[in-house]
Amino acid sequence: MKRIISLITCMWLITTVAWSQAGSDISGRVTDSKDNSPLSGVTVTVKGKEIITQTDKNGAFKIQIPDGPQILVFTFIGYTELELPATSNMQVSLSSTEKTLNEVIVVGYGKAVKKDVTGSIAKVGSKDIQNVQAPSFESALQGKAAGVVIESGSGKLGQGIKVSIRGTSSISASSQPLYVIDGLPVITSSQSDPNNDPTNPLADINPNDIESVEILKDASAAAIYGARAANGVVLITTKKGRNNQKTTIEVNAFNSWSNPARKWKFLDAQQYVDLIELAAKSDGTYDYNNGISGYPDVNSAIADYKDFYESNILDYFSLGTDWKKAAVNTDWQNLLYNKDALTHQVDVSAYGGDEKTKFYVSGFYNKQDAIVINNRFYRYGGRLNLDHAASEKLSFGINLSVDCSQLNRVSNDNAFSTPGQLVAQLPISPLYDPTTGALNSNTLYSNSLFDAQFNSDIQVTFRTLGNAYLNYQFFPSLAFRSEIGADILNLEEDAFQGKETIDGGGVGKANVIISQSASLNTNNYFTYTPNLGDKNKLNAVAGMSYLQNDSKFASSFGENIPSDAIKNLSGTTLITFANSSGSRYTFLSYFLRGNYSFDNKYLVSASIRADASSRFGPNNRYGYFPAISAGWVLSQEKFLQNSKVINFLKLRASWGQTGNAEIGEGSYLALYGVSNYPNLPGYIPVSLSNPDLQWEKTKQTDIGLDFAILHNRITGELDYYKKMTTDLLLNVNVPFTTGYSSYLKNLGSMENEGYEITLNSTNLDGVFRWNTNFNIGFNKNKVLDIQGQVIEGGFGLTQRAIAGQPIGVFYGQQFLGVDPQTGDALYMGTDGKPTSDYGQAALMVLGKSNPDFTGGFTNTFSYKGIDLNVFFTFVSGNKIYNAAGVYMNGGFYNGFDNQTTEELNAWTGEGDVTNTPRVGYFYGSGYQNSSRFLYDGSYIRLKNVSLGYNLPKSLMDAWHINSARLYISGTNLWTSTKYPGDPEVNTETFGNIGGGQDFYTIPQAKTITVGLNVKF
Amino acid sequence: MKKIKYTAILFITLFSLSNCNKKLDVVPQQNITPDQITTADDVKALLFGEYSLMQNANGFGERLIFIPDLLADEKQVDFVGTFTNYKDFFTKTQDKQNSIPAGIWSNMYLVLNLSNTVLSKISLIDPSEQDEITGEAEFMRGVALFELVKLFGLPYSAGNISTNPGVPIILDPPKYVYDPANALVSRASVGDVYVQVLKDLQDAANKLPTSQDDNRADQYAAKAFLSQVYMQMGDYVNAATMANDVISSGKYNLVSTFNQAFNNVSNSQEDVFAIQQSAQSNAGTSDNGLTTFYSPAPQGRGDAQVDAGYKTFFENGDFRKTYTQSGSSIGGFSGKYTLKWADFYKAVPVIRLAEMYLTRGEANLRKGGAPIGGIAPLDDINKVRQRSGATPLLGVTGNDFVEERMRELGFEGDRLWTLKRLQMDVSGLLYTDNKLVLPIPQREIEVNSNLVQNPGY
Repeated sequence: MKRIISLITCMWLITTVAWSQAGSDISGRVTDSKDNSPLSGVTVTVKGKEIITQTDKNGAFKIQIPDGPQILVFTFIGYTELELPATSNMQVSLSSTEKTLNEVIVVGYGKAVKKDVTGSIAKVGSKDIQNVQAPSFESALQGKAAGVVIESGSGKLGQGIKVSIRGTSSISASSQPLYVIDGLPVITSSQSDPNNDPTNPLADINPNDIESVEILKDASAAAIYGARAANGVVLITTKKGRNNQKTTIEVNAFNSWSNPARKWKFLDAQQYVDLIELAAKSDGTYDYNNGISGYPDVNSAIADYKDFYESNILDYFSLGTDWKKAAVNTDWQNLLYNKDALTHQVDVSAYGGDEKTKFYVSGFYNKQDAIVINNRFYRYGGRLNLDHAASEKLSFGINLSVDCSQLNRVSNDNAFSTPGQLVAQLPISPLYDPTTGALNSNTLYSNSLFDAQFNSDIQVTFRTLGNAYLNYQFFPSLAFRSEIGADILNLEEDAFQGKETIDGGGVGKANVIISQSASLNTNNYFTYTPNLGDKNKLNAVAGMSYLQNDSKFASSFGENIPSDAIKNLSGTTLITFANSSGSRYTFLSYFLRGNYSFDNKYLVSASIRADASSRFGPNNRYGYFPAISAGWVLSQEKFLQNSKVINFLKLRASWGQTGNAEIGEGSYLALYGVSNYPNLPGYIPVSLSNPDLQWEKTKQTDIGLDFAILHNRITGELDYYKKMTTDLLLNVNVPFTTGYSSYLKNLGSMENEGYEITLNSTNLDGVFRWNTNFNIGFNKNKVLDIQGQVIEGGFGLTQRAIAGQPIGVFYGQQFLGVDPQTGDALYMGTDGKPTSDYGQAALMVLGKSNPDFTGGFTNTFSYKGIDLNVFFTFVSGNKIYNAAGVYMNGGFYNGFDNQTTEELNAWTGEGDVTNTPRVGYFYGSGYQNSSRFLYDGSYIRLKNVSLGYNLPKSLMDAWHINSARLYISGTNLWTSTKYPGDPEVNTETFGNIGGGQDFYTIPQAKTITVGLNVKF
Repeated sequence: MKKIKYTAILFITLFSLSNCNKKLDVVPQQNITPDQITTADDVKALLFGEYSLMQNANGFGERLIFIPDLLADEKQVDFVGTFTNYKDFFTKTQDKQNSIPAGIWSNMYLVLNLSNTVLSKISLIDPSEQDEITGEAEFMRGVALFELVKLFGLPYSAGNISTNPGVPIILDPPKYVYDPANALVSRASVGDVYVQVLKDLQDAANKLPTSQDDNRADQYAAKAFLSQVYMQMGDYVNAATMANDVISSGKYNLVSTFNQAFNNVSNSQEDVFAIQQSAQSNAGTSDNGLTTFYSPAPQGRGDAQVDAGYKTFFENGDFRKTYTQSGSSIGGFSGKYTLKWADFYKAVPVIRLAEMYLTRGEANLRKGGAPIGGIAPLDDINKVRQRSGATPLLGVTGNDFVEERMRELGFEGDRLWTLKRLQMDVSGLLYTDNKLVLPIPQREIEVNSNLVQNPGY
């Protein structure tokens, strides 16, 4: 040890010994142009000489310069480099450079300057996240980073969000990225009721605390997170204060009003009655023509069916109102939405620092009403980020946030009690019973407005994220950092179903779920940055990390209540289910990384990580994940150095391997579970063993180009990548006759290949500024080999992983139209000819749920104090399946549900050429799952438009405030799509195969926000 | 001072590293591994696991009873619900992708495999108990195979029993690591499956005690099932013998009124074999379970109504005719509902003594000659009729028994098997119609190329 220290000391001395020449002393002070706060650590160099110094904590510097006129170069990470002639007592003001190549970006276990980075990393700054009216910060990333696809499941609040970075790279394991907040990997999987939609633990984080989000896309950037990085890594950095910064207090407040972005078009009462009459006619005619009941003539057949429909449906559900005159015309769809659902957020933060201590403190309160009734989300919390330098060498700090959220939930999409299914009710059904005046309890499906009135489902989450660090600078070149952190999530969900409701089963029910997740994480690493002179730069990191997560889950269900007054288990008298369980997983990792650059021209980086996890058996517990990358800054070469056009040009290439272990616990073991039979407790087998189970591996190659041209007015990045995932962790079906259904096996491969283009341009500069950002990511996924396994998912229409096809293709019967003679739906038969026999239709690939490309297009205009931001997102090439189509377009065969206006085109009789098959409860056609309900899901959406006004300086001074911005913004104001509902829906948000299925799913919100931001 | 600091940091780092390796061994907290099955109680727990599979919705908790009734004569059940996988059985348009055959198939093969595991670990059981446990495991395996071959193969009555495909017979204990070499089984013939069913149930009848705690299967449960098997085979001598053994045991009595036979907390006096349910252990309360389908909303879904034609089987005054309630389905259809499955958490009678009377009577009648048990068929049928206030018959034919079974055993999953064994049409379809046989689950065929699909799928 001693020897190493002395060696390192020697190296440090050798490399720093160079400065000792005679000349004159120049002194000065460097400040931030924004607020005139002193900047410490700014490198001051005499141009062309090897004379270097740094500013002290007051921003002051003193440098010896050779005789004669000299130029001083001021460089500081995150600020524009400045060259000034050396004068006495220089007052230098540096301005920060957001969105330029000098930008500092956060990488795994460290930071780097964008222009030195050889990996593919997308950064989204606080500006894009702040005050965006979204249920969770990830929503704000949509369309902001090329190749990052964000799919919000629905317009319900607090729900899971599916994020895929450069495509889906797993079939059975998770394909969600790893999220790391200030160095601490956090829990992102749903911890709530497994019988309802998954919720999103990231929704607890205050978006306004976020300074930046870095998305590590390629293997060289992500491989330092090894076994958990195959799906990319999202690094979230929260805000910090700065040394010697005057304390600033910032207040943000906004209100917003939301409505559904898109609604379905359903039949009104008259149209519904007409369609019922058509069903009677079609059924009667079909019966007579096929001699089913033996009617003497077609008219008597129709009359009989007409009588059935009118007495059983129209008379029965109109409750004595005159359906013939459409006396009642209830728009049930309207009843499931709140009108102008209100969101309110206030947050206050204070930040600043003195010589030794920096701080950021914030508190926030947010209350959102969803567009759907009974769905509400409250959250509040606080954050403290504190950094203190105890001495020149020792510093420590903590990032701590404490949040509480409350989510009032509605049932999942596939429950009669969910408000989303109100659309199935009949327009002839009155909302209130005309005889009693009470809410109508005699509706087609049980009226979920009762559930809305008498049920509740409240999930309260407490989340604490804390990460403390200690940094010890052995020498200027060698630092050791130790972090220890915890992510503690406590969730309690209390649900109650009143006696009056369908979920209450006439007896009333209640249940409680308690879920706890505690992660302990420690990172310990050395960073070595020797001073190797002007041309050689080296940065090496070596360390280890250990992660341990313990989860507990307990739930109890009871029923039989005396009345609705008590809404928890104490009101129930019969416990029907109670259970508690727990699980643990651990990851032990070692990592090593080196970045080397020569002359700012040639950049090389290599890393390796070794991971071991409890999720794998002793046979294959360790995995090794290497990566290497290189960059060549062509613009530093002589032939481009003086180019007037090209200001920066860097070619980079990387290769690396990352892993995926998101398969749950104990997957390599043969297991028995407990079975429950009265008085006979038993065991039943639940899983087969696979002692050889190992990591799923993704190898990724990336070639990229970063450039800046025309005086840096246009900057951009181009990337090509190819990801190859092998040893896929697949749930392989085995014959049921073995007593098992499937087991997890490493088998097969899949690839993702794509291009990404990011362009930023300053179109107009000066008083009137106009910036354009455009990004687009193309991804092509292909399942290469799954050795004939049948792997299915999806909701209504089956989705599959099929070799040679993209993952999750829709697989089923192809609808070819309607036979004009019979009204029968026609499907592609196994013989390639149309058939009206659904059972004889061929099963085939019908389309895919993953898009060909996605992207965003932003234009920002500013003139004096006014700024306007117009942001579009677009998605193309994906299909959406309306799984509710079998009901809302089932032509009454699957129930008398109200139908969409598409059924107005239903086949009316022999010779009618249409695409909507024959309707009828008895002899309807085309009511089964098929491509009939599969739609093009491409869309372009005006995701956000905001107009801001910065109050003039004169007013600010009078009010003693630094700045104030007033803004109005709109979300999802305009959409163009061929899908008849909202294209941003997915009833099963998680899962790699299922996707793009709509089942009475709540659409996204269309929101108007008015807000104010004030800094004191 | 500095040195101490460095050493401390280094020490802490190294300490934390060395400690971590042990932390990679994590033991499951709610499961056991096969090496933890070491005692007699563990083996019995595997056997008890089979009871919960029998109670499962894919067992007698719902589908083994409900699906045959949906397929059977339409004068019994009307399906008015929205679940297309059930509705397709009612309309006899089910396809090979339907999830229900896969559910039944997987559940019943799990029973088979658990039985095989129990039998392979019988040495862990105390020798004095080994016979009983063996018999009970064989009972489960025999019943599972019997239910499978009835659903997935042509009926025994269709003949060609040595060539008509039945279902695979699995007798070896399962492996814990998948091995395709012995997993790709083929369908045995209908005849071979019946041979195995008889073997298991006969051995069970020999080894099981006459009575067991907790309503577990005993000797008479095995004999009652044997009577069903022999009826399917048209072996009336053995059918009558087995039914007579159950009746003459004296262990069971017809409950005094028909309604007392149903919705009981545990076995009634007339239950020879019944599935137990409780608030904490049942076949389902929202999407599955007999009560879910047969009880009107809001308690159940009310998807299965009594067909108007059902009452035409009865004379007025027959209690069984009015053993219904009015209500409405979750999908808004009003109608009549049988009361047999009215309440949640109640025992599900699988074989009642009343059936044994009807079986003994019918088998005696069909075989002719001196009645086994010494009771005339007419007395057996009237014994059942009188309990419900139906007028006693003066003479009896085979068809009287068919109709009486519909009256007595309606909604209990009997009708389809009665019609099939007698080669009678089922709702206008020939008893061997393709749609009256369930498809081998498509996914099963895809993972096991040795399986042959049934015709029509």
